[in-house]
Amino acid sequence: MSTTNSSSSSNPSGFLRTETFTCVWCGLAVTALTPDGHRRNHCPSCLHSCHVLDQVDGGPSECQSRMTPISIAVLRNGDWMVIHRCVRCDELTANRAQVDDNQLILMRLAVRPLAQPPFPLEAFGAL
Amino acid sequence: MPRRKVRRTDRRPQRAKDLPDRRGSAHTDAFRCVGCRLDVPLSAPGTAHRNHCPHCLTSLHVDRRIPGDRDADCRGRMEAMGLSVRPDGEWMLIHHCLECGELSVNRIAGDDNPLALLRMAVRPLSDSRVPVRVLLTL
Ligand SMILES: [Zn+2]
Ligand SMILES: [Zn+2]
Ligand SMILES: [Zn+2]
Ligand SMILES: [Zn+2]
Repeated sequence: MSTTNSSSSSNPSGFLRTETFTCVWCGLAVTALTPDGHRRNHCPSCLHSCHVLDQVDGGPSECQSRMTPISIAVLRNGDWMVIHRCVRCDELTANRAQVDDNQLILMRLAVRPLAQPPFPLEAFGAL
Repeated sequence: MPRRKVRRTDRRPQRAKDLPDRRGSAHTDAFRCVGCRLDVPLSAPGTAHRNHCPHCLTSLHVDRRIPGDRDADCRGRMEAMGLSVRPDGEWMLIHHCLECGELSVNRIAGDDNPLALLRMAVRPLSDSRVPVRVLLTL
């Protein structure tokens, strides 16, 4: 998320429902909040993100490069996390999949390992 | 992901220890896995720079920015949380530090337990909330 445009500056501390950002990859203008009120970290359409936080040292990152979704991980409570990797510095982040994220892209990421197994799956029978 | 502190009952670090060297080779180093307590030799055929247990896939947080830099003082337990696929098709394991929340991505090794890897691969799909109609459209 590269640019943040707020349609009003009357409420600097609160987070405005009207705030949007432009996706660094597909160019879509996206509301910063999901329909159920969570703050987005990635584009719901292409799932790309932007490297704005330093995961190792904490705080803001100067990198600002594009982050691509590389994997789906599942938390113990069943929630799906989207793993992003920065195309410039390789840093990784994990962020919750949101209700209006593109389901097709989420599933494509989730099944990718099984589509390209490093060993024959037939040997395993039923898991 | 919220960074959470996980209290561990066993804080013994996964340190390298010397095993009796019977063949006089350089393959003398091993570590005890913090996940399953298996004694894992550091080197094995087809396995360079081993960084996780081949049996349970658990790792230890010792690297900071670059794999192999051994620059982190965290030494927390890192659990495998997912798989990604490189453009060349190679499977990569994503590890998550239970102490500090950091993530790392590591190559799978030639002697990693295939069943443990496969369980990791099917984990998103064993979620009953996955809409089947989405699967059917793929
Ligand atoms: Zn996008
Ligand atoms: Zn970056
Ligand atoms: Zn183990
Ligand atoms: Zn750590």
